[in-house]
Amino acid sequence: MQAITVENLSKTFRVKRKEKGMRGSLKAIIHPRTEEIRAVNGVSFSVDKGEMLAFIGPNGAGKSTTIKMLTGILYPDGGRVEVMGIDPTKKRRQLAYQIGTVFGQKEQLWTHLTPYDNFRFFGAIYDLSDRETEKRIEELSERFTLRDFIDTPVRNLSLGQRIRCEIVASLIHKPKVLFLDEPTIGLDPVVKENVRALIKQMNREEHTTIFLTSHDVGDIEKLCRRIIIVNDGQIVLDDSVEQLKNHYQDKMAADIHACNNEHGKAEKNGESLNVSLEEILVDIYRSEEDG
Amino acid sequence: MLTAVKNGLRVCVLSIKYNIMREMVNKVTFLTNVCFMVLNNASILVQWFILFRLREDVGGYTFREILFLWGLTAASFGLSHILFARAFSLSELIIRGKLDSYLVQPKNVLVSVITSSTDISAIGDLLYGVALVCACRPGVGGFFLFLLFTVTGMAVFTAFALLLGSLSFWFVRMDMLQGQMIMSAVSFATYPDGIFTGISRFLLYFIIPVGMAVWHPVHVMASFDAGMLLTVLGYACALSVAAVAVFYRGLRRYASGNLMEARM
Repeated sequence: MQAITVENLSKTFRVKRKEKGMRGSLKAIIHPRTEEIRAVNGVSFSVDKGEMLAFIGPNGAGKSTTIKMLTGILYPDGGRVEVMGIDPTKKRRQLAYQIGTVFGQKEQLWTHLTPYDNFRFFGAIYDLSDRETEKRIEELSERFTLRDFIDTPVRNLSLGQRIRCEIVASLIHKPKVLFLDEPTIGLDPVVKENVRALIKQMNREEHTTIFLTSHDVGDIEKLCRRIIIVNDGQIVLDDSVEQLKNHYQDKMAADIHACNNEHGKAEKNGESLNVSLEEILVDIYRSEEDG
Repeated sequence: MLTAVKNGLRVCVLSIKYNIMREMVNKVTFLTNVCFMVLNNASILVQWFILFRLREDVGGYTFREILFLWGLTAASFGLSHILFARAFSLSELIIRGKLDSYLVQPKNVLVSVITSSTDISAIGDLLYGVALVCACRPGVGGFFLFLLFTVTGMAVFTAFALLLGSLSFWFVRMDMLQGQMIMSAVSFATYPDGIFTGISRFLLYFIIPVGMAVWHPVHVMASFDAGMLLTVLGYACALSVAAVAVFYRGLRRYASGNLMEARM
């Protein structure tokens, strides 16, 4: 069963262009110039229910735009999207009951309220009764260990505590799919590790589908089995993390072998090559940049 | 359907309650904001009082009608800023791509957005407006008319702000125009319509909706006219429907944003 189906998804933004300086500003008033930028260009993929997928790419690759089209924030210019069998462009509100979103760079919580009051508010947004909301808060605050600061205003929380609260707020209605856009941005390694463990636990226990975008290789390696890399609005790779690593290790071994033969050096047999995912991603991004 | 409306209202009430709770965190600021708004409004009435000692009427208005005018403007403007303050800064939300968190919620986007903030000094405006009209002893019928026109005035001011703000989906820097037009509406609304003639009068009835928000209602309160009452009701409904339609039309063009931000 598929949680997300995307076919030929496209989105174009129209951006104003202006020559430099005051003269350029004056010129732009008389002859405004716009340029079309294809943020997402014919992207197709699907995600199974309960799967944890990393959707990554360099800055400006089209990750956030894709996530925003999947969640109903942006209207696509072309293509088809279905999340849990619902088209976000037609039934955005119905879809909202099925999904949760965490944008690491944007707060959803009211900063002057306590996490508890925020969770009550989110419970009301998702039409939960007071009893249901209380039960869910109890359950999630236990799992995410929020008890010590559940009654402290959000503005007084540390970043790690706040992100945990953001995740809990997005889980209050038991979403089937969770979209995480840079959930660990700015967190220290220990808190990152805790957040990852909690996401993993939630996927295991509630069978939540996870759609993750992150620049943090640790997030990808520790959470996801499958990886989709996008660049210039197109998918450049869709593979399992394991396969990707194996493929690169083989490729590097072949390169070294060829290099050694060229220089007449003896081969070092039996030495295993250890390529990190970060190195692989840098290599892919660079080769994409070079065209 | 009924449950959906009930749930929607529950969220609106919670949202407004939380907005007021936020403002009440600092008690001193809260109280001074409210009190100084009342004083500020009251100080301007002194000028009118002096003027009416020199003349019997200004632009066809007596002092009592000026009090109705001020009362209604303050109450409508106040109520719109207590319940729907975000409609008055909608441009900024659109330009900076801050609608995302409302778009992922299973509730009406527009209602969620415009109820997400409260201007606390507007409580002072509302209290001042009600006190002023009560001081004129309008009678039970007159007071009910005042309440009705406060609601229609609120609808007209909010819809006007929403309409201008929604234009930001198409044009950049509409925030400046939105601010200026709203301030113009409020300023003109505190003068009698008789002093405006020709093109300025046309503008104040058809471009800046002061005529339907305040002047017509004041005429009805001074001397009841069913036709005028229905015109005001019809106008408030039509402008609200148009503003909502423009907002949703524009929402399809929403481009979001990647700025770091917090919900304050």
